[in-house]
Amino acid sequence: MNNEEQNTPVLVIGAGIGGIEASLLLANSGRKVYLVEKTSYIGGNVIKFEEVFPNMDCATCMIAPKQQELLANENIELLRLSEVEAVQGSIGDFTVKVRKKAGYVDLENCIGCSACFEPCPVEVDNEFEERLSKRKAIYIPCPGALPNVPVIDTENCLRFKGQDCQACQEACMFEAIDYTQQDEELELKVGAIVVATGFKSFDLGKSTQYGYNKFNDVYSAMEIERICASNGPTEGQILVKSGEPPKSVAIIHCVGREEKGYCSSVCCMASLKLSHFLKKKLPEVKITQFYSDLCIPGKAYQKFYEEVKESGVYFIRATVTEISQSGKELSIKYKAEDGKENTLNAEMVILNPALEPAADSSKLAEMLNIPQSKDGFFSEKEPDLTSVATAQDGIFIAGCAQGPKDIAETVVEAEATAGRILSLSR
Amino acid sequence: MAKKIGVYVCECGTNIAEKVDIDKVIATVSPLKNVEFVERHKLLCSEGGKEFLKQSIEEHGLTHVVIAACSPKQHEITFMNVCEQAGINPQLSQLANIREQCAWVTPNADEATDKAIRQIRAAISRVTYNIPLEIKEVECNPDVLVIGGGIAGIKASQVLAGPDRKVYLVEKTASLGGKVKGFSKLFTNMESGLSLMEQEIRCLLGNENVEVLTESEVEQILGFLGNFEVNVAKKAENKELNLDVGAVILATGFELFDPKKLPQYGYGKLDDVYTSLEFEEMNIPEGPTSGKILLKNGKPPESVAIIHCVGREEKHYCSKVCCLYSLKFDRMLKSQLPAVKVSHLYSDLCIPGKSFQKFYEETKELGVEFVRSVKTEVTGNGKGMTIKYESEPSSKGDLVADMVILIPAMESSSDTQKFAEMLNIPQDGRGFLAVEHQLLSPVASAVEGVFVIGCAQGPQNISESIVQSEAAAGKILSSLIPGRKLELEVRTSEISETFCTGCKTCIDVCPYGAITFDDSRRISVVNEVLCHGCGNCAAACPSGAAKLRHFTFLQIYQELKEVVR
Repeated sequence: MNNEEQNTPVLVIGAGIGGIEASLLLANSGRKVYLVEKTSYIGGNVIKFEEVFPNMDCATCMIAPKQQELLANENIELLRLSEVEAVQGSIGDFTVKVRKKAGYVDLENCIGCSACFEPCPVEVDNEFEERLSKRKAIYIPCPGALPNVPVIDTENCLRFKGQDCQACQEACMFEAIDYTQQDEELELKVGAIVVATGFKSFDLGKSTQYGYNKFNDVYSAMEIERICASNGPTEGQILVKSGEPPKSVAIIHCVGREEKGYCSSVCCMASLKLSHFLKKKLPEVKITQFYSDLCIPGKAYQKFYEEVKESGVYFIRATVTEISQSGKELSIKYKAEDGKENTLNAEMVILNPALEPAADSSKLAEMLNIPQSKDGFFSEKEPDLTSVATAQDGIFIAGCAQGPKDIAETVVEAEATAGRILSLSR
Repeated sequence: MAKKIGVYVCECGTNIAEKVDIDKVIATVSPLKNVEFVERHKLLCSEGGKEFLKQSIEEHGLTHVVIAACSPKQHEITFMNVCEQAGINPQLSQLANIREQCAWVTPNADEATDKAIRQIRAAISRVTYNIPLEIKEVECNPDVLVIGGGIAGIKASQVLAGPDRKVYLVEKTASLGGKVKGFSKLFTNMESGLSLMEQEIRCLLGNENVEVLTESEVEQILGFLGNFEVNVAKKAENKELNLDVGAVILATGFELFDPKKLPQYGYGKLDDVYTSLEFEEMNIPEGPTSGKILLKNGKPPESVAIIHCVGREEKHYCSKVCCLYSLKFDRMLKSQLPAVKVSHLYSDLCIPGKSFQKFYEETKELGVEFVRSVKTEVTGNGKGMTIKYESEPSSKGDLVADMVILIPAMESSSDTQKFAEMLNIPQDGRGFLAVEHQLLSPVASAVEGVFVIGCAQGPQNISESIVQSEAAAGKILSSLIPGRKLELEVRTSEISETFCTGCKTCIDVCPYGAITFDDSRRISVVNEVLCHGCGNCAAACPSGAAKLRHFTFLQIYQELKEVVR
């Protein structure tokens, strides 16, 4: 075993479910962990989901104890609003430069009462809510986000644009808002690195045939996740743009699969989950799924599929060739495997896009000197053996940074990175 | 000793003070029994607030503390730590949530104030019934028992074994290597399974901290996290062995669904219908045909039909790896018999993840046919076999083949039941071993210190099995550290020897296997190391013998009577 890696601190990049799990295991063993997170909150994409398959656990409730444990763990230093800028060295002795952006709200003094939001005169689209609702220039992404401490978005804040506004500071009872905070440049010494940077969705604007961005009631799956969420923009009410609940919904699988050349592995289950959820909220809604192959791998998923099918969801094996507006409804033109063409109308269309690696993966890959697949996922050293080791000793990958994964697979990989790192130190 | 309760009401800026009339609260609760004083503070969780709290507790020589503030989720630990620093057992403090449960949930200030008074009164009433609990520690053994010498068990042993941690790998057959050893090729790299396993076994045997016990069976496991006692029977030597370990990993693998149960496939009746494992065996140089793909008549097949999902409908799950290994079969067939015609009868292609579609596309280019079928039937036709198929919505057809390879569902191995019972681990309704939480704790079982990896918990491919073995190692290396004691949960359950009638209700409802039955005394006994303090047993016990520390009947009653008064 390698003796250079002796109880050194570990850098974990990305505070989604994978990064959280890896950090907790490493920290509980006694290691110091630096957890670098680009956004202001922990929990990644998982906290955007109201419920997760296959048991329809409430996602935010499910991971809240892990989040609390992480925030309370003295061995973990959470660096939010932070990005890795340079990495040098090798296993046991990496030097990492991290830029930690100022959030302008003091973590110690702020109690998360949100009194500062209301007086802020700025309103911009909330990215966390898939731009379906507005937020202020001082904000937390959604109710319940952790740490429950807002940040100031300097691109939109009037004060940082040179105007004389201090509405938020005046509203704060705890002197938590500090406009003089500065970005920090940190230099960390670590022995090993875990990359858990997650995924983003395929850009639906690229598949023009589906009319995303063109027709009001064509949504991405992630938008529907937020619409279904009780802490989301509609507080869980499912409505089309006219303000009515939809009577019919079409869910289209595999959007972008042909372009990407791989199956994103979780979308069939995610589509089934959305069907389940829509049926629960709107028992009369007619749901049709357009799919090519149903991919529901493993012991736990088929039961869920059978239940959804029994609840009256239709499945059509076909390729959707075009979506157009037809009066109040959307008209979905599709072609079955035998070449026969047909059309179906629905009031709401949900597109389920392929998963891609998170933005900036290439930049990070270059810094870490680890190879990527042609799609930009980080490459594992031994593709058919373990997915967590990379070509660089001491650098490990977990979750969707390596390829499309569900939550369980991501957590297993995160635990595996901890296993590999902890076994190095002897 | 006289009881002296200090009551502290936090204003939380204006968060509480805006809704709850704190003056009224103070006036109402000050005269209550044992209350020494009631004080308000702007923000108790701030550094200044905590310092004030600590000094105030010390100054007044309090015996109990009630804090009316936010949710216990937010700051219970914060205030318990302050109490400890001030010299009071943290269990002798009680938090009343007057923010989330009062100030924040009503626009009506009178209602908020009334409810806050009830909550604080309840906390005052309860706190004197709280009992100081001391944190206990137990020694633990860092060594690990791994059951099953396949790829998952071998990899777990490799990652875990070290100078300060011994691993015992118990395998019931005479040799290590599991199923993978018998695969001539592996997807997607098409390398030999045998040479992979030989290399892994060499690496394992070179590790002096691993003790391999082949032809051995685990007969009994007693104990708990950090302290398991294991009894192993070495069959060949007719010897019994006792081992002490701190954790157990189950890597007992899989078996195939028996296609004889489904007569429509002709398995066992028609000569050239094979299971996937039989086809694998045909391809290894040491196999019965010396690695040649041959029909029973000694000739190579001209046409092969591969039938997917045999038993899927009966098992109600997709076995996940079959689509990929049947694509591997295409490559094996085409490389040995370039002219062979290969047809797949399948319903859905399941090739999840970033790299498998490429493998599929490249395989398809070799000239392989894919036919959708949800209902397939194999019959002999004198010369070879006819395969009838039906697919949705209504297309039907047939094709001929002189070899049929069935791809059966994967099932749990025959030992699964035995280990589930031995270790008190639940099964999942499909025969596999269940994990603690499907998403958040996917390799730990509900019994602390026992892990389930690879196909023992469900169909997995090789890479997934290895990652699970590394994950189990991660959990063990993180928690079972040589020289470190285990700190136990203090709010655990206890069962009164006097009141227990031995009905065993508590044993059934305990999700952690923490309760056992003492046959000699005819009573249930709680193992404090395993108890998580969930309270199931206390709720279910018909005779009031099971009690949860810190949540006893008396404590809850004292609290509730003031809430509803």
